[in-house]
Parts: sequence; structure tokens; C-alpha cells
Amino acid sequence: MALSTTVSQRKLIKRKAPRGFLKRVFKQRKPHLRLETSSDLLVHLNCLLFVHRLAEESRTNACENKCGIIKKDHVLAAAKVILKKSRG
Amino acid sequence: MADSYSLDCEPTTRTLLRRVLDTADPLTPRRPRSARTSAQRALLETPSSKKLRSQTKMTARRRSHKARSIDRLAHIQADGHLEEQTPRTLLKNILLTAPESSIVLPESVVKPVPAPQVVQTSRRESSRGSLELQLPEVEPSTTLAPGLLAPGRRKQRLRLSVFQQGMDQGLPLSQEPYGNADASSITSSLNLTFATPLQPQSVKRPGLARRPPTRRAVDVGTFLQDIQDTSLALAPPGDSLRTPVTTLPTDTVLEDTQPFSQPLLGRSPSVQHSLPCPSHSGAKDVERAVGHRTWSSGPRLQNSGPGKPAQLMAGKVEEVGALALGFPNTSSNISGEDGVEPLQNGVGEEAEGRMKEGLSMRGVEEATGAQGSARAEEPEEHTEVTEAEGSQGAIEAKEPEGSSGDEDTPGRTASPELASSTPEFLRARRLQFPEPAPPPSTAVLTSEPPETLSARLPPRTRIPGPRPRQDPYKTGLNHYAKLFSFYAKMPMEKKSLEMVEKCLDKYFQHLCDDLEVFAAHAGRKTVRPEDLELLMRRQGLVTDQVSLHVLVERHLPLEYRQLLIPCAFSGNSVFPAQ
Repeated sequence: MALSTTVSQRKLIKRKAPRGFLKRVFKQRKPHLRLETSSDLLVHLNCLLFVHRLAEESRTNACENKCGIIKKDHVLAAAKVILKKSRG
Repeated sequence: MADSYSLDCEPTTRTLLRRVLDTADPLTPRRPRSARTSAQRALLETPSSKKLRSQTKMTARRRSHKARSIDRLAHIQADGHLEEQTPRTLLKNILLTAPESSIVLPESVVKPVPAPQVVQTSRRESSRGSLELQLPEVEPSTTLAPGLLAPGRRKQRLRLSVFQQGMDQGLPLSQEPYGNADASSITSSLNLTFATPLQPQSVKRPGLARRPPTRRAVDVGTFLQDIQDTSLALAPPGDSLRTPVTTLPTDTVLEDTQPFSQPLLGRSPSVQHSLPCPSHSGAKDVERAVGHRTWSSGPRLQNSGPGKPAQLMAGKVEEVGALALGFPNTSSNISGEDGVEPLQNGVGEEAEGRMKEGLSMRGVEEATGAQGSARAEEPEEHTEVTEAEGSQGAIEAKEPEGSSGDEDTPGRTASPELASSTPEFLRARRLQFPEPAPPPSTAVLTSEPPETLSARLPPRTRIPGPRPRQDPYKTGLNHYAKLFSFYAKMPMEKKSLEMVEKCLDKYFQHLCDDLEVFAAHAGRKTVRPEDLELLMRRQGLVTDQVSLHVLVERHLPLEYRQLLIPCAFSGNSVFPAQ
């Protein structure tokens, strides 16, 4: 089985992609473009990977500061790095 | 023996034994053997009866029968008195050695003591609602209380409830513990309360005559009526209530099951005070009025509550109050700047009847409110009360009071348990009255991306429901924020989640721009999966080692995987078609 399905979830994480939300956001930003069906899912995948990296980076930052809680500044510093990476 | 039965309906074992000892002729049985057997029978009986002492009256009856039979034997077999193994001595020994419920007293004192003690305690306990047999005219026992000063070891047997009752009665404490201790010990030996008939003894404690009236019955009746009214009140508006409010009545209902819980204690005196005022009006009005009143003056008045029914009624009133306040609560939550009008609007459109009733009650409650303010024990809430009542200038003052009462109520509904937090909350709310700016809504506005404004409503209007404005976007981001917290596997602050949402927002911006560029580069106006793959390759997610399909397999659920990765099926078909 894929890794995603074997991850133990304590919380109820929705695995469904918010396809309508993604389509709406894209339409609002780029009304002259169209989004294909499958690319919608890939956008979702992209977002997942982005969030995953962000979380990892934030966790690293928090652990470096020896903090048990992820704080705002951890996230901010992580976001700077990851956004720069994700620029494409 | 018959006369002893006439005196006590259900005498205790001990009393019977004593009576036997006292009344029976001090004759020893003619034959020691029969006496011994009878004594042994008595011996055998007594341990069993001791064990079964806490059981039913059968034991007492058996004991009495046994005592009588022994007595008869003693009569019949009138032998010389043998020190050992006579029933009398055996019974005496039993009485002496019986654990903790035996009273070591000379027989002369013992005899009159137990019965009236039983009477007294029985009366106490039945008044406490323990058992049913109750002859209210029994008041004897008072003369014996000082006589019972001798058994000092009964001090520890004092029951708190009895003590409290004694306190309530205003009786001298010195007499109470001893008298009740002995009586309670006696009755505790049997775990029953007996209503013994009137003893020919003077009533030393006239306070006992003044039993509190059957206040409980009346209160229970009104209480039941209130329950019915509350259930009626709960039924109709239940569907119209929003979910956060519907949770409130259930919480208060849950609170009702604890009659002695703290919040109810605070509200019970207000219930008491407001009850006599609108007593003429219907119980429903009383409920509402009390509900409003309790909410506004509940925690302030912390005098001792009357009892359980009043508290429960207060709890029931809370429900109605919570219901009535649910509407102003929601309306006030939405708009905070002009407190009076939206509250009135919200109240007017949703609970006009209630408000009218509440306002009609206000005039009555003002008196109680004045009393409440006079009796206010907590200074912060006292100031709040004075503020509330200082605004009562005229008839229109009722409306600010209504609004303030409603504000009290939302504050209370927010945190009914914490009395200290509510006044601060309410004071802050009051201070925010002249401030028209809703800081939360402006903050929300600034966080919105600029291009979304064109598609959304103008944010400045004070709509009662700002939900269609930003909620879809926020919920989408929230979805990813939750995924962030899931991936992080660490506790997070709320602010960090907001920061994550901001980052996601920026990310979406970048994403759309990149996709546009890629599609334009390919001469298309439609974004296709190849563009996405290119994007991921540029991001470094897809490498030569890690292909897109691998990532898809890793992170997406099966259904999406099937849609994305072409798979060959039977019949020489590939899905999705390439």
C-alpha cells in the first residue's frame, strides 16, 4: 500500500482534495485560463507536498530552538525558505 | 410485653432487650440447663441478630419474640438467681459488649432514653426525607438530652446533617449532638427510622415543634411545573436555535443533575427573591424573569440557598434563560459596536414576546435588582449592577437595561461558571459600544488577497452574516492548515496556523502565476498535467529518481491515483486514456 494510506492518523484528516476550492481559486486569479480535470489533482498534490515541506521545516526550526510547540516565528522562517524553494 | 409494643411500633433490638431486662422479674430459671439452653439460644440468636441488625424489622420481631420467650422461661423456671448463664445476665453482657451501638448506661437511665432518642432521630431523619414513618407530634426526648451527657463517647456519632438541622433550628448545640448522637447511633444500628408514639415527657426543646413547613412539597410542585414549562419552552424554539445555542441548554440540563453545584447555588437566592415578587404571574413569566434576573444577579447573590428544589428550579430557569438569551447572544456576537440597536433588532426579530415579558418583569425586578445591588457581595459585579441600574432612568431606561441584561446574558452564556470573567467581559463589551470599527472584520479584510475583492461583497457593510465573504476561501486554506498540523506532529499555536494560511495564500499566488507562464509557453490556454509536472520538476520535487507517479502513489488516495496514473485494463484499454 502507498505510504499515505499506512500513516496512522489520530485526527480525522480529510484525504479528499478540495477540487472545487482549487478550481475556484484558480479561476478567480486567472480567469482567462482553464484548469483541466487531472491537473486539479496534481495541484492538490503540489499543495500537499508544499505543506509537507513547510511542516518539516517548521518542526526542524522548533526543535532547534528546543521548543515543544511550533510557534509563529518558526513557521515564518520556514516559509521563507520553502517559498524560495518552490518558486520554480 | 404488650405494653412495650404499644409504645413502639418497631422497637429496636436494644430497646426490646432492655425492656425485657427491666420488666422481667429477676428470676432465674429453675433448671440451669434449660436456662443455659435458653441462654445459649439467646446467645446464638444475638450474634445473628447483631449481624442482621441492619436488616429489616423481622429481626426486631424475632428478637422480641425471643426476648419474650426467654422472659417466659424466666418466669416459668423461677430458680435461684445464678450469676452465670441467666438470660438476664447474658442479655446484659450482650448489651454491654455490643459494638458501638450499645449505650453504656445504668438501666434506669437506659430505659427512657432509647425510645425517645429513636423518636427524635426518627423525626429528624424523616424530616430529612429518609423514611416515611413520621409522627410529627413526637417531641419528647428533650428532657433526656442533658441526661445523656453521661455517655460521652457518643460525641463522634454526631451527624453533620443533624447538626446542621440543629443549627437551622437554632437549638443549643450542646444538647443537639448528644441527643442526636445517641439516637442516631441507635437507629444506625438498625438502619431504620421508627416513628415512636408520643412519650410522656416534657418537650424541652420547643424549637423542635417548629418543623419547617412542608416547603419541599410546594417547591417540588412548582419545580415540576417549571419543568413542564421548561420542556414546553424548549420544544418550540428548539429548531430555530442555532447550534451553539442548542448546546447551551444541554449543558445547563447536565448541570441540573448536580443540585449542589456552585453556579446553581449562586442563582438560588435570586430565584427565591424574585419568586415572591411575580408570584401572581404565571410560572413561565417567573421563569423568564427569574432567568433574566438570575443571569444578571445570580453570581452576585451568594447567600445560602434555600434547598435543593430551588436550586434545581434555578437550573431549569437557566435553561429557559439560556434559550431566551440565545437569540440576543447570537445577534450581539455578530455586531458589537452599536450594542443597543442590534441587540434590540436581534431580540425584536427573534424573541419579541420574551423581551416584552422580560421588560414587563423588569419593573418588578428593579426592586429585586435594587435589593440585589444592595446585597451584592462582589464589588466588580456590584459596579456592574449599579451601572445596569443607574441606567434605569425612565421607561426607556428599561431598554438599555434590557440590552444590558441581554449583554449580561451573553456574557453569562459565554462563561456561566466563571463569575469573575463575565463582568470583565461585559465591561469590555460596554466600553466597545461607541467604537464602531469591528477590528476582527477589518483584520479579515486585510488578510484577503486583493484579486478576490472583486468577486466578493464590499466588506464594510455590517451584514449580520459575513459568512459568504471569506469563509470558502478560509475553509480551503484551513483544510491545508490542518494538514500542516498533521504533518508537523507537534503542538502548534493558533497564530502559527494563521501564519501557515498566509503562506499558503502566497503559495497559491506563485502557483497560479507559474502555471500561467507554463501554459503560455506551451501556447495553450488550458493548464494541463504536463505543466504541473514541469512545475514540480522545477521545484525539485520530481527528480530523475523520483517520478511524478511515485509521488502520486505516495501522497494521494487510491481514487485519485487511478485517475492520474494510466493503467492498462483488460480489453486493451488504458485508463485514463492518453
